[in-house]
Amino acid sequence: MDTFSNLALGFQAAMSPESLMFCLIGVTLGTFVGVLPGIGALATISMCLPLTFYLEPMPALVMLAGIFYGAQYGSSTASILLNLPGSAPAAITCLDGYPMAKQGRAGVALFITTIASFLGGSFSILLMIGFAPALARFAISFSSADYFAIMVLALTAASTLSIGSVTKGMAMVALGLLLGLVGTDISSGAARYTFGMIEVSDGVSLVALAMGLFGVSEILTNIMRGDVVVVDAKSITMRSLMPTRKDMKRFWPAAGRGSIIGAIVGMLPGTGPTIATFMSYSAEKRLAKDPSIFGKGAIEGIASPEAANNSSVQAAFIPTLTLGIPGDAIMAVMLGGMLIHGITPGPQLILENPVLFWGVIASFWIGNVFLLILNIPLIGIWVRLLTIPYHMLYPAMLFFICIGVYSVHNSTFDVLLTLIFGVLGFALSRYGYSPAPLLLGFVLGPLLEEHFRRALVLSRGDLSVFIERPISLIFLILTSVVLLMSVGWFRTLVGRLSPKRLFRRPTNE
Amino acid sequence: MTNNNITKNTLKRTGGLLLAAAMSISMVFGAGQALADTDYPTKPVRILVPFGPGGLADITMRLAGEKLSKILGQQFIVENHPGAGGVAAANELLKADPDGHTLVVMSNGTTIATSLFKKLSYDPQKQFAPISTLAWFDLGLFVNPDSSYDTLQSLVAKGKANPDSLNIATVSPGSTQNLAAEFFLSVTGIKANIIPYRTSPDTLAALLRGDVDLVIESPTAYSGAIKGKQVRVLAITGAKRNPSLPDVPTVKEAGVDGYEVSGWNALYTRVGVPDDVIAKLNAAITEVANMSDIQEKFFDLGIVVGALTPSEMADRFEADRKKWSAVIESAGIEKR
Repeated sequence: MDTFSNLALGFQAAMSPESLMFCLIGVTLGTFVGVLPGIGALATISMCLPLTFYLEPMPALVMLAGIFYGAQYGSSTASILLNLPGSAPAAITCLDGYPMAKQGRAGVALFITTIASFLGGSFSILLMIGFAPALARFAISFSSADYFAIMVLALTAASTLSIGSVTKGMAMVALGLLLGLVGTDISSGAARYTFGMIEVSDGVSLVALAMGLFGVSEILTNIMRGDVVVVDAKSITMRSLMPTRKDMKRFWPAAGRGSIIGAIVGMLPGTGPTIATFMSYSAEKRLAKDPSIFGKGAIEGIASPEAANNSSVQAAFIPTLTLGIPGDAIMAVMLGGMLIHGITPGPQLILENPVLFWGVIASFWIGNVFLLILNIPLIGIWVRLLTIPYHMLYPAMLFFICIGVYSVHNSTFDVLLTLIFGVLGFALSRYGYSPAPLLLGFVLGPLLEEHFRRALVLSRGDLSVFIERPISLIFLILTSVVLLMSVGWFRTLVGRLSPKRLFRRPTNE
Repeated sequence: MTNNNITKNTLKRTGGLLLAAAMSISMVFGAGQALADTDYPTKPVRILVPFGPGGLADITMRLAGEKLSKILGQQFIVENHPGAGGVAAANELLKADPDGHTLVVMSNGTTIATSLFKKLSYDPQKQFAPISTLAWFDLGLFVNPDSSYDTLQSLVAKGKANPDSLNIATVSPGSTQNLAAEFFLSVTGIKANIIPYRTSPDTLAALLRGDVDLVIESPTAYSGAIKGKQVRVLAITGAKRNPSLPDVPTVKEAGVDGYEVSGWNALYTRVGVPDDVIAKLNAAITEVANMSDIQEKFFDLGIVVGALTPSEMADRFEADRKKWSAVIESAGIEKR
């Protein structure tokens, strides 16, 4: 009952006119920076941080958080409409969202992703309300060996991401791993594959890679081909935005699985939403009765990653608020913002400042409701974007990509890099190599290496640490099962044993 | 002067308001004089921060930038240019006109970089002109409260008795924290593993789950854990106790001689910027350092505000450069 009285307290604080207003400002701003490619929550939150110095801690925090999760709602919009992800995690939404738009179902896709975002966000908020401190302790009990095992599982998922040949998919993963090596080695401090360029001393920018491979390469493809989706503006009615009953039947379980995967990945410090969305997509493809529908506009392919995206960003607040351990750069800025306001996130926060703790959590949910109300009517407007002739649209797209990429590190080199990756992405997709596994390899590679090496330093070189730790063991067993599934006789065996025939190999014809 | 300023802040807290007030008046007077000499700044001023947003340097500069904008009547805008050894920010400064409208943040990390990198693309002492320090901070030696280490001595004894048994976590190789750990090992003569982590929160998580025995990190980064009693602070690396942790001894008080580490953040600009502009900026920063709300905010963050004159700043840089280059030498760290 204690939780309920606390929550009532929180809602009371979050419903104050001031908090409501700043929540609305935050989520609205977030939605727009989310839609714009490249410009992400990190740059926006850092820019808004000094503005909040004049606010009370509560509205300041509510607004900054609103920008963060609001941006995740917006980030899939351009993925669906233009094959241009608003942020790296939304790159996976391009795979099935854009084909839906080509089939004239952009409105349905946007509707589905909005609802999925809301479900994912709400799921993690509920977890936070019920079990935040316990979950945070569980999350930090993951040591380097455990992280390594999770990354191995995520990497095996990479092979399912490619549409077409598995070999080509694996080649892309390898290329991604290699690109991920560029930069300063975390263990020794040595610069690797930088060729003396200080611009890449901290590694290749993820945003530049994602924007280039997905955004710029798509623009190039369209210009070369000249065939672009043209939608009749008159055909867009509220009715045409609504998913069918059949769509919704496929939607619910996918969004549920996405929410769970997102929450688990999100609360682990150092992982982030990109891994969450990619893992949830590949889980859907593995579990699907007919994996061949993916990449052609499968509802599951957008519902699950979008739910995972929002679930993971909300779950990222769990270790930040309850232990003072921010999981990524955005959470670190949020933590900095809290410290400036004299709030010290940590185990004592819930006791010393319950109004703030519960108020902020309540505001998350209010913010998600705002986002739902805000985004549904926007769908009609976004879809009309498609009626703009492409030759007028793409210069604007390129312009926003350049500004967005520049805003991340204030680096013109990153802009150049984006264009190079754009050309690379264009060439790769022409020859049937899909960019998604490359991106996953790039994100996972550095983590895989860092945790493998650190696990071995901690164990003084003893490899058995990977099977002695229970969490690590579980994930390695899961990985073996996934791998064995792609072997014929094993699949038949499991197929006979399991009545539901849960596991099936993705067909990669 | 460093010590003066720090003492002054403590005095102010303990009630020595008169002295502080007298000094502030003289500072404001000084600022007034400089105002007459130059019409600087005539356009917005960029502060280049060589780190990503959210860190200590970033936050302190954003707080100070806000105040500088008010004092000097032009916007002071913080730009993040992260990159190894501050090279990205330094290059950006060298591209700008030497008119004082572009400033860069240097830290004791810069003094490390000058010795650590075989060829640093810039020479902070020849190409850059010091303006003033802004923030001073120390590091803490943290252990898990469930561990058997009650004092620094018990940890040192354990480390000496069992070579290679201790795990010490710090952030990235070449950081102040990382070299502070190397320095600690060479002063105490312990052999142990120094394990680099990507971020401060990563080191905290490693300490909480018992993967490592000791973390050297700024108390600011651990403020939540300190308040929540999730960590035990054995000692503080500064020459004096940290005002926000008055019960924690310095490393010297805890029985390890010859060990002191304190970090700072300072504003620099290009060589060639007119002296009166530098004087005006120095006066403005000194004024900021004396503002009571800034002092309170910084105190809450576990940082001490303190300005230096440009020549004191240059001396401090040289002293730290010598110190870290000796540490790098004696620890046998390979230059990159």
